Amino acid sequence: MAAAIETHHLSRRFKDHLAVDAVSMTVPDKAVYGFLGRNGAGKTTTLKMLLGLIAPTSGAARVAGVDVARDRLAAARRTGALLEAHGFYGNLSGRENLDLTRTLLGLPKTEIDRVLEVVEMTDNAGRRVSDYSLGMRQRLGLARAMLGAPPVLILDEPTNGLDPDGIADMRRFLRALPERTGATVLLSSHLLGEIEQTATHIGILSHGQLVLEGELDRLKADLAPEVVFQTDDQTRAAALASARGFTLEVTEDETVARLKPGEDARAAAAALNRALIETGLNVFAIGPRARSLEGIYREVSQPQPRLEAA
Amino acid sequence: MLSILSVEARKLNRSLAALLALAAPSLIAVFAFFMLLRGDKPQPWEMWLGSAAGIWAFFMLPMSVTALTALVAHMEHGPKSWDHLRALPLPRWKLYAAKVVCVLAVVAIMSAATLGLTIVAVKLAVMIKPVIEPTGPMELARWIKVLAMMFGAALLMAAIQLWTALRYFSFVPGLVVGIGGTFFAVVATSAKQGVFLPWQMPVNMLASEPWRVTTALGLGCGVGLLALVAMTIHLARREVR
Repeated sequence: MAAAIETHHLSRRFKDHLAVDAVSMTVPDKAVYGFLGRNGAGKTTTLKMLLGLIAPTSGAARVAGVDVARDRLAAARRTGALLEAHGFYGNLSGRENLDLTRTLLGLPKTEIDRVLEVVEMTDNAGRRVSDYSLGMRQRLGLARAMLGAPPVLILDEPTNGLDPDGIADMRRFLRALPERTGATVLLSSHLLGEIEQTATHIGILSHGQLVLEGELDRLKADLAPEVVFQTDDQTRAAALASARGFTLEVTEDETVARLKPGEDARAAAAALNRALIETGLNVFAIGPRARSLEGIYREVSQPQPRLEAA
Repeated sequence: MLSILSVEARKLNRSLAALLALAAPSLIAVFAFFMLLRGDKPQPWEMWLGSAAGIWAFFMLPMSVTALTALVAHMEHGPKSWDHLRALPLPRWKLYAAKVVCVLAVVAIMSAATLGLTIVAVKLAVMIKPVIEPTGPMELARWIKVLAMMFGAALLMAAIQLWTALRYFSFVPGLVVGIGGTFFAVVATSAKQGVFLPWQMPVNMLASEPWRVTTALGLGCGVGLLALVAMTIHLARREVR
């Protein structure tokens, strides 16, 4: 599959702080690519470099085959963006705001109705943006990003500040975007659940470095499954599982035993269950569980280094 | 470029810029109207139009430019529109050049309105009190030329104010520069060095010494145009974070 977005050793330094560190990412055509990372991981800086808003310290970025640093205008013609700061003029209506961008892009007036229809905002387009809810502003921002039907959409935290209903709406909308518009979507977020339910591909950024990238389903499939169990004595249960060669992750409520890649999770769960009961432990719950994005994320991203008080 | 100008004009049209453009010249005209009504004897046209041009250049023009540039810049700073605008497939210098054109167009309209509204105020006052009808010729062409020269001499001041307003997210630096510049222009009116102060250059168009007129106009217009070009290049190239 051709790449809609590609970066090669993309880095950006702000004085002493290396915000983005040699990121080489590939967003396949027509993918919904979830760009994950904690706040401050370097997501927005990377997106700004893709949009030509800031220059990389080193490395290169290509959008729809165009080198952003060499030909920003050509790259921008192929890109629509929704940024964290929407930049709407509150004293103008939604339609008037779209019309300003439409005029700047030299598009026909019919484009406004088209994009308003896509985001289901036609009925509210005449209202002043200052009267819009955050969800409506996000959708208007998406409409503006889609003016001129660019093949690449870059969306920075599109569900930020939305209520649960708004998040569900946005998720449904984003999932359907490539099919409805033919666009490739790169969306950044720090919400794992949102990305897991929306994205086809993910990239995880940690301390400015891309620590994992790939097709989400394949990443999940490649990872070894796990067996979750709860007993009346988690310490003894953990010791037993550990003695049987499992890698464990113990939380307050449950213990998670990681299997080896390719191991049969159901058989492992049955064997572990038998062993626990034979030891005299009461087993409340036990069963195999597919690896979640959260598990993947926790495995590859390191916690922020803490500053120790002197 | 025309599409960017039309967008800027639409944004300005829906802001309070129109109110500002009308308010400043109107205040001068209202002042002239009541000054006329206070008088018992007719005065020459030169006195009314000269004092209106003087008030405009001395105080109202610097303050209006300060307010207008802050307003124009805050149209984008307020809603944080820069990232959106700068990510569009447009040469960035055009975004800033359009702002320059709009600010200068509004200042030009305000200059014309100062003259026009003052004439209207004089005529209205005469209708109420015919005895004060101004004497002598109106010399409209002369006063148009004087106001045009004031506009030219104000370019450096406008460049400094717009540059500051667009560069800083907060409107405070622009206001400090504008108020400070106007303050020194007012308190150092008669100082020889005042001719080199951008905020005092427009009022020097009324100076009786020709060197003051040519120096202020040459510096204000010439350096002002250079400063506007430099501002456009600098703002287009810098990163907005």
